[in-house]
Amino acid sequence: MTSAGVTHTSDPGYTRLVLSRVLKHRGARFGLIWTGLLVLFSVFAPLFASSHPLLIVNEGGLSSPMLRYLSAVDVILLLLFIFAAVLILIRYAVGRVYWSVVLVTLLISVVQSFYSISPPKLVVYEQYRQDVQLLESQLVLMAPVPFSPKDYLRDAGDTGFLEPLESSISTHWLGTDENGADVLSRMIHASRIALGIGFVATGIAMFVGVIIGGLMGYFSGVVDVIGMRLVEIFEAVPTLFLLLTFVAFFDRNIYLLMVIIGITSWPGYARYVRAEYLRLREQEFVQAAVICDLPLWSILFRHILPNGIAPVLVAASFGVASAILAESTLSFLGLGLVDDPSWGQMLNQAVQSSSFYWWMAFFPGGAIFLTVFSYNLIGDALRDAIDPNSHKMS
Amino acid sequence: MTTYIVRRLFLMVPTLLGITLIVFTVMAAAPGGISAQSLIEGQNLEPQAKKALEDYYNRLYGLDDPAPVQYLRWLNNVSPAGFIFDDDGNVNSFSFTKGSNLGRSFRVGRPVGDLLAERIPITLLLNVLSIPLIYAIAIGIGVRAAAKSGSRFDVTSNVILLGLWSVPTMLAGILMIGFLANEQHWRWFPTAGLSTREALDMPFMPHWDSLGQAAVFALSLLGFTLLFLVLAKLRATKIRPLLSGSYAGLFVGVCWMIGGSETLFGAVILGIVIFAIFQFVDDSGWRSVLAVLVAVVSCLFVYSFWSSGGFVRGFLLDRLWHLVLPVACLSYGGVAFLARLSRSSVLENLYADYARTARAKGLSETEVLWRHVMRNSLLPLITVSASLLPAMLAGSVIVESIFSIDGMGKLAVEAVQGRDRELVLSITLFSGILTLFGYLIADICYAIADPRVNYD
Amino acid sequence: MLLDVQNLSVFFNGERDKPVVDSISFSLERGRTMCLVGESGSGKTMTALSVTRLLPNNASLADTSKIVFDRGPEPSVDLNDASAETMRQFRGSDIAMIFQEPMTSLNPVLTIGDQLAEAIQHRWPELTENEINTKCRESLEKVRLDNVDERLNTYPHLLSGGQRQRVMIAMAIACEPKLLVADEPTTALDVSVQADILRLIQDLQSENGMGILFITHDLGVVAQIADTVAVMSRGQIVEKAPVRSVLKTPDHRYTQGLLDALPENLVATRSQESSPLQMPQEQLERSYIEIENLCVSFPIRSGFFRRTTGYVHALDNVSLKISRSDVVALVGESGSGKTTLGRTLLGLIAPHSGSIKLEGDDLLATKSDFPKNIRNRFQYIFQDPVSSLNPRLTIATTLIEPMGVHGIGENFDERVAIAEKLMGDLNLDEKSLWRLPYQFSGGQRQRIGIARALCVNPEFIVCDEITSALDVSVQSELLQLLLDLRESRDLTLLFISHDIGVIEYVSDYTAVMHRGEIVEFDETSMICHSPKQHYTQELLAAVPRVSALT
Repeated sequence: MTSAGVTHTSDPGYTRLVLSRVLKHRGARFGLIWTGLLVLFSVFAPLFASSHPLLIVNEGGLSSPMLRYLSAVDVILLLLFIFAAVLILIRYAVGRVYWSVVLVTLLISVVQSFYSISPPKLVVYEQYRQDVQLLESQLVLMAPVPFSPKDYLRDAGDTGFLEPLESSISTHWLGTDENGADVLSRMIHASRIALGIGFVATGIAMFVGVIIGGLMGYFSGVVDVIGMRLVEIFEAVPTLFLLLTFVAFFDRNIYLLMVIIGITSWPGYARYVRAEYLRLREQEFVQAAVICDLPLWSILFRHILPNGIAPVLVAASFGVASAILAESTLSFLGLGLVDDPSWGQMLNQAVQSSSFYWWMAFFPGGAIFLTVFSYNLIGDALRDAIDPNSHKMS
Repeated sequence: MTTYIVRRLFLMVPTLLGITLIVFTVMAAAPGGISAQSLIEGQNLEPQAKKALEDYYNRLYGLDDPAPVQYLRWLNNVSPAGFIFDDDGNVNSFSFTKGSNLGRSFRVGRPVGDLLAERIPITLLLNVLSIPLIYAIAIGIGVRAAAKSGSRFDVTSNVILLGLWSVPTMLAGILMIGFLANEQHWRWFPTAGLSTREALDMPFMPHWDSLGQAAVFALSLLGFTLLFLVLAKLRATKIRPLLSGSYAGLFVGVCWMIGGSETLFGAVILGIVIFAIFQFVDDSGWRSVLAVLVAVVSCLFVYSFWSSGGFVRGFLLDRLWHLVLPVACLSYGGVAFLARLSRSSVLENLYADYARTARAKGLSETEVLWRHVMRNSLLPLITVSASLLPAMLAGSVIVESIFSIDGMGKLAVEAVQGRDRELVLSITLFSGILTLFGYLIADICYAIADPRVNYD
Repeated sequence: MLLDVQNLSVFFNGERDKPVVDSISFSLERGRTMCLVGESGSGKTMTALSVTRLLPNNASLADTSKIVFDRGPEPSVDLNDASAETMRQFRGSDIAMIFQEPMTSLNPVLTIGDQLAEAIQHRWPELTENEINTKCRESLEKVRLDNVDERLNTYPHLLSGGQRQRVMIAMAIACEPKLLVADEPTTALDVSVQADILRLIQDLQSENGMGILFITHDLGVVAQIADTVAVMSRGQIVEKAPVRSVLKTPDHRYTQGLLDALPENLVATRSQESSPLQMPQEQLERSYIEIENLCVSFPIRSGFFRRTTGYVHALDNVSLKISRSDVVALVGESGSGKTTLGRTLLGLIAPHSGSIKLEGDDLLATKSDFPKNIRNRFQYIFQDPVSSLNPRLTIATTLIEPMGVHGIGENFDERVAIAEKLMGDLNLDEKSLWRLPYQFSGGQRQRIGIARALCVNPEFIVCDEITSALDVSVQSELLQLLLDLRESRDLTLLFISHDIGVIEYVSDYTAVMHRGEIVEFDETSMICHSPKQHYTQELLAAVPRVSALT
């Protein structure tokens, strides 16, 4: 038997084949499940953890303070999720035109909700607890974790650093942080930041990397020399140093952080894409496309990209892990988001002077670990799935 | 080769220029940017004093000039050859030997050069200790996993390594400090710094009061080593269970020794865990329990000498003691990454055509592995070593912050927090230089290891 | 009997019901050569690997298989029963093996000397370093490698393919094995090198009387080297007999088919039916494409400033005239510049100097427009059926996209209709237009490659080794198809090949290339039967032919 024909590196049945191989991988399944959980948490965070009661029944009828206090981001995430779920359910019934109509409507509604939704600026969390105590006849339905991430329990006195299950007003399953906020609630809300930064930053990095790397690989020559210099410049400084500098000198909001992490991590993708384009450019089907005088964009993105994207996707899945790590490292060093809860920033509180608050290390740290582990597992499974050697050998 | 190296050295210049340009642009483009106002922000001063201070800073750093001018001025100061200005800011002359001047830190007020000269060696010490450690352990694990691919060792080590690779450095550091160094738990290691204050007055090497004591110590060590060897010889093929046992035993003993009896419980548990891992992974027999006992007894014996007074641990041991946690924290990720890489690289080469040729010659698997496959498998590891250095520098930012070590990483955090422009620029410049030299060394090593590469 | 194989079966991944080698039996005597011949996938390599017990990890031998190896004075052993350790003792000392890929079969980071010495030391552990050294030198001299002392200290990458294969043979015979298993040892080599290597193997055999199990797909090679032949097909031996009887009077239909598909036999059938050629002078006057003094060179850069310090000349003053409706063949060994010439004509490689004239217009006059002007008139068919089609696009897209660019067909439906007709012309199912490349066999893919070239209605097509990746039976079909198309569409072809037999069958004129130059250009029949240049004569002499068997 000769080597020819043993490995079809890319078929479309190939996409399905890779997917099924990944799904067969036990680690990857674990990773996907954990990611799914995180998505649920981040979408339904206000339902899971909020000081605002979900429902209040009194003589006047029903009211839901939780809904009233939803922010624009909360609403958009919920809308997106529901839309996505519906779309996946009816995916066989819709055509391409319908899809684009749906997407445009969605986009409009997202923009609209940004302007139209304005929850009350002033939030007094303690009010509900007082109300509940005063009016016992009221039927109040609280969230499973009845604390908002920024509810510092001012009404309960000094509640900083309570151990898990040590009760103040009600039980804190995972304890409280230095300000007295519930750790579990903060962790649930922080999953948004982790996921958001992971995906968006990687998306940005991949986009920039594919464009620059593709041009470098396809044209080589001068473009390649200049591009590689740029890559080298970005790679020669430890990414963390660059990140630190960027973050320290700019505003710290989540969107900027996504962009910053994205643009400091593109060189890796550019390298991968460049190597793939260099390899594929010499392949005969690309030469054939050139001979047929096909337009450049078609050669670059229709003929080369789909065949060279697999290793980039592997890198991207590891990239999500490292973007999440980058965010938590910045927060840990005190250079992350100022006000929002973040796993890294909670981890930072674990060791203070000579005390060690183990729950502040275990739970947020464990969440970071599990998330990073998940993406590494998925990336690993993906790499095995596209690697022809691993199947020949085992 | 020489031409190649010289060429590479010259090509570093544009890269370094690019790095500093990017960092400078970021700082200049930042809202608020860097100005005399931002420097004295927060100081409660009278308006006149404020004005005077602003003027002072402007004169000192030229902060009121346009950004490109500031960058060019900085560049001129830093480069070893450049223009010399007189007091009024006019070009005086061009000199090739004026030497470089990294400027003066905004916040600390000291010359940046002095600060870096203090800090860089510490960071380098951490890295230089970690890199060989990483490679030794990683190659050991990787080769074993590949040679026994599909075995229990391979499967478990793969999962453990992937897990280890995913543990964020700060989590590992905090857990280490929290459990192994903190007052509340076992105080086996120091929590911060690189040496205790008393250690500065100690002699460099560890020593005892009398020569006799040292001799007894050495003899007892020798005796225990012999005992191990004899145990191992009893059944020569089963040396691994002994090793695993003695590792676990040594661990318990050492922890007992340092921490005292209150931490014995933790030590025993950790020892059992280590033992269990070895047993599981190695599939070896119960005889190792004996080795545990021998190791614990030997440790106790050593401990009795240790605690009998008259022993001074010396600067060296003290430094090493302080370095254990930071180095462990800095290396485990690299070990995990490289071990997996070396596994896949060895595996790939084990099935290469030339390995088949070697087998067809009648060589045994061991010979094929060590003589043919090993050297080829090292090549990707060498390539990766180039990107290891930047990763280690980034890692030392975290490790130094957690363990309060005054190295370059901690300095970097302080610099960006204080918006200390001169310091930030110099740190990026130097980490760039270090990284580029790392690349160069990696490339040279590659050329040595692979005869196919020809740089001329 | 040196080797007696009984009921050898090999299967993958424990699938006993789907053996790749299906209970075959054969035997080999001392000092004789046995050829296993078959097309790709027939299981011949697996057979060779099972004899040395070097099968890949996921393949296994059936328990019932017997591989009895006679060790001369010592008792014979069944290799299937031998322990891994015993087997290791045999390998390299009693049984040696040569592999197909000389480029990857030597360890790149060890010197030739190291690798040779290792084999010798394993055979005779008692030898001193000096003795080993002498033996290394002797064995390299035996395989007729020049500069032996220097070679011992060089690394494999500095040697050519032929030289590496010699080193492999030196390594195999240095230990004086009783049995040599050679798995397609000459397939990756040029014909002249192949001829040398085959002669070398035969000489060594007559010297030390080893038995050779020789695996090949090339019946010409079989004719030259074999004593007995076993023809394999789908894991089974269909015919097993002395070489003369297999090649002259084959019993089995499969063997007969193989022989009929050989280019040299095709030539015989064609020359009987084809019309006499037109007069060459007349043709040369109205030339279609005229290449004059074409030079292509790649710069060598070195030194501090990466200045160009020299050139590798891929094409050196090449001049060639191609007339309308002719098939011109380019023949030459690897690295002779055939493909470079083909690609330069298509504008894929920019020439250094010279001119290419299409019906009198100089294509290189305005360099930027060059490729554009000829795109719908010139096309190219590639060598590798696996990589020449985009694996992610359906055949329809592959064919229709260029049609759109060149304005063929008014709309999508019309283009589909054209594509469907094209598929029909190439004996492919119209419905397969909507399939993806991986669903086709190598021969079908190559036909789709032709369809892709034809879809823009070109006048001139460069066919670059289009059959070299295919089995002979598929090759003959494809060549016939190509000739029919040329007839019906009035195509001009530049046919690049290394195989003289194929060229003789296909072409009207032949240009022989050597080191970037055209050595000889003439009518194909002249080139093949009375070559004038020394190089051409050598090249022809080296071609192994079944008919050479007397």
